[in-house]
Amino acid sequence: MIATLSNFLFHTMLGHVVLVALETLAVLVPLLLGVAYLTLAERKVMAAMQLRKGPNVNGPFGVLQAFADAIKMLTKETVIPSGANRFLFLFAPFLTFSLAMVAWAVIPTGNGIAVADINVGVLYLLAISSLGVYGILIAGWASNSKYAFLGGLRSAAQMVSYEVSIGLIIVSVLLAVGSLNLNDIVLAQRHVWFCLPMFPMFILFFISALAETNRAPFDLPEGESELVAGFFVEYSALAFGLFFLGEYANMFLMSGMTSILFLGGWLPPVGIAPFTWIPGPIWLIVKILFCLFCFIWVRATFPRYRYDQLMRLGWKVFLPLSLAWMIGTAGFLMATGLLPHQGVS
Amino acid sequence: MHDVIASYFPVLVFGVIAVGIAGAMLGGSLLAGHQKPYAEKTSAYECGFEAFDDARRRFDVRFYLVAILFIIFDLEVAFLFPWAVSLSHVGLFGFLSMLGFLGMLTVGFIYEWCKGALDWD
Amino acid sequence: MTALVFYVFATILVLSATMVISARNPVHSVLFLILGFFNAAGLFLLAGAEFLAMLLIIVYVGAVAVLFLFVVMMLDIRVSEAREGLQRYAPFGAAVGAVLFAELILAFGHWRIAPAIDAVPHLGQAAGETNTAALGDLIYTHYVLLFQACGLVLLVAMIGAIVLTLRERPTGRRQDIERQHARTVADTLELRRLPLGRSVRELGGFARPTSYSEAAAKGSYDPHAPVLSDESRGE
Repeated sequence: MIATLSNFLFHTMLGHVVLVALETLAVLVPLLLGVAYLTLAERKVMAAMQLRKGPNVNGPFGVLQAFADAIKMLTKETVIPSGANRFLFLFAPFLTFSLAMVAWAVIPTGNGIAVADINVGVLYLLAISSLGVYGILIAGWASNSKYAFLGGLRSAAQMVSYEVSIGLIIVSVLLAVGSLNLNDIVLAQRHVWFCLPMFPMFILFFISALAETNRAPFDLPEGESELVAGFFVEYSALAFGLFFLGEYANMFLMSGMTSILFLGGWLPPVGIAPFTWIPGPIWLIVKILFCLFCFIWVRATFPRYRYDQLMRLGWKVFLPLSLAWMIGTAGFLMATGLLPHQGVS
Repeated sequence: MHDVIASYFPVLVFGVIAVGIAGAMLGGSLLAGHQKPYAEKTSAYECGFEAFDDARRRFDVRFYLVAILFIIFDLEVAFLFPWAVSLSHVGLFGFLSMLGFLGMLTVGFIYEWCKGALDWD
Repeated sequence: MTALVFYVFATILVLSATMVISARNPVHSVLFLILGFFNAAGLFLLAGAEFLAMLLIIVYVGAVAVLFLFVVMMLDIRVSEAREGLQRYAPFGAAVGAVLFAELILAFGHWRIAPAIDAVPHLGQAAGETNTAALGDLIYTHYVLLFQACGLVLLVAMIGAIVLTLRERPTGRRQDIERQHARTVADTLELRRLPLGRSVRELGGFARPTSYSEAAAKGSYDPHAPVLSDESRGE
């Protein structure tokens, strides 16, 4: 029985598809549960920071709140504005949410364990995150509402501006790794996590991640006080829900990228006995949760930026800083002969 | 070459499943919700009055400028990726040639800074 | 199997390219263009060029098509106007198309896929080397002049974009961050002991700037500046 099953899974084409599908679900199901509970965690953490209780009615400590929200959103009416482009209006939230999930295909959760272990994993992540602009831009245009349109434009310009510095920061990490494979990037941090030697870049990356996911203090595309809700002002029911969940899924993705690039991915903090007993995926999850906590912490702490300040920070501070750091890293590695000889890998 | 394609096969499966989940959620909501549209409900959101005209209008030229500058810097980053990977092979010459390339772009960057292209009102 | 995947990608690519020029709504055209880029990236992947495939998505879909979408979204295109233009320019378009088509036929008549490719010594990938590294080994050393020319093209593009789009039209109030940070209490606040019945102005007034124009950051909107009319702005 077991022999036939393993023969089916490992030696036939269909079995291969089934195996990959099972791996996919093993990543996506925890991710979706995590996204659902992140919405609750955010409310709880912010409540604690503001000396409130947060949701506590549905189930013990409000743990059923996530499901209550989901059922409510599912059964609401999807209002499609009369002036809107119907197909694109529904396509935009669908795209945003799918992209946030698709990116997880390449994230390694253990040594060589990833659904797809591709050679250019970093570029794949960068490509997927650069597509995030479309969901917002299309939503803003398709709604045919002034607030949505302006919110979409602002958001697109903001995401695009911070993508440049994210790219430059990734290049500085790659200089120390010598490979575009995510697994190699994690393995290169065996001795020291990159967040220590590249601490300024770690901070810059985290702030850029905030801007890239439109989170506070850079959440002005949806600034309620001026644009009501920005690009999703016309959305309701699960079409709105997909944008909402997409934002949280993107937070997970950015936390995952931060963990892999700077916090040693699935590696334990030190490679000695009690730490190495805990499996890699647990370490990765712990690091992701830490980053997510910081996301929420920042939201509870800082007031919203003004748009001109946001663009100034992106173009006049982050871009020159990350460029200078990248050149400095290259020069330092050249001078000390510490460049990784990896091109062949 | 064949193993390259094989390593992308899981990405395809992953994508299909992810798209399926998102589609099922959206479709489920469309089916489960009670749809009852009428003219007032489906009009565009405004602060209590009818929308004056179509929302898709001209907007500030700075948004285009940001998009164009982004293309240029994105290309710069694109050139940096192979350089970062093969810096140990190309040695000092490769390092200097990249410095020349970045130097030219820095000139452009300083120009746009001084021209005020990066300022927003 | 590979051939099948190739034909799927190629067919969708050709179909979406057709839709780009035949779709009524320009936004739909751009979205079909993006679909076309994805299929082209798929073809690159099929040829084993994974770096180029990802770069095609990052640069063309992630950046160039965003600009297209920006431009197209604000176009207020009326179908009748487009029709009018079509009738007027159709003969010119047809003539240019015919010339291009004839040239393409001539070119393809003598097409051979790089017969000397194997003789070029520096090409080719070492065993186990990723194609990103293989590209990197060449671009920055062997093709350094072309690489620098790319930098020059980007520089020209950057300056051109600014010259074309930037208008000195101060409409808002700007912030000079450095000046704000450099401000001290002494610059803004002055404590005076006022004898009873006398005003601050008689004693020399405050140290703060007396007018808005003096205090505003460079490039800010100035209500006292002479207003330029649209004609005198010199478009």
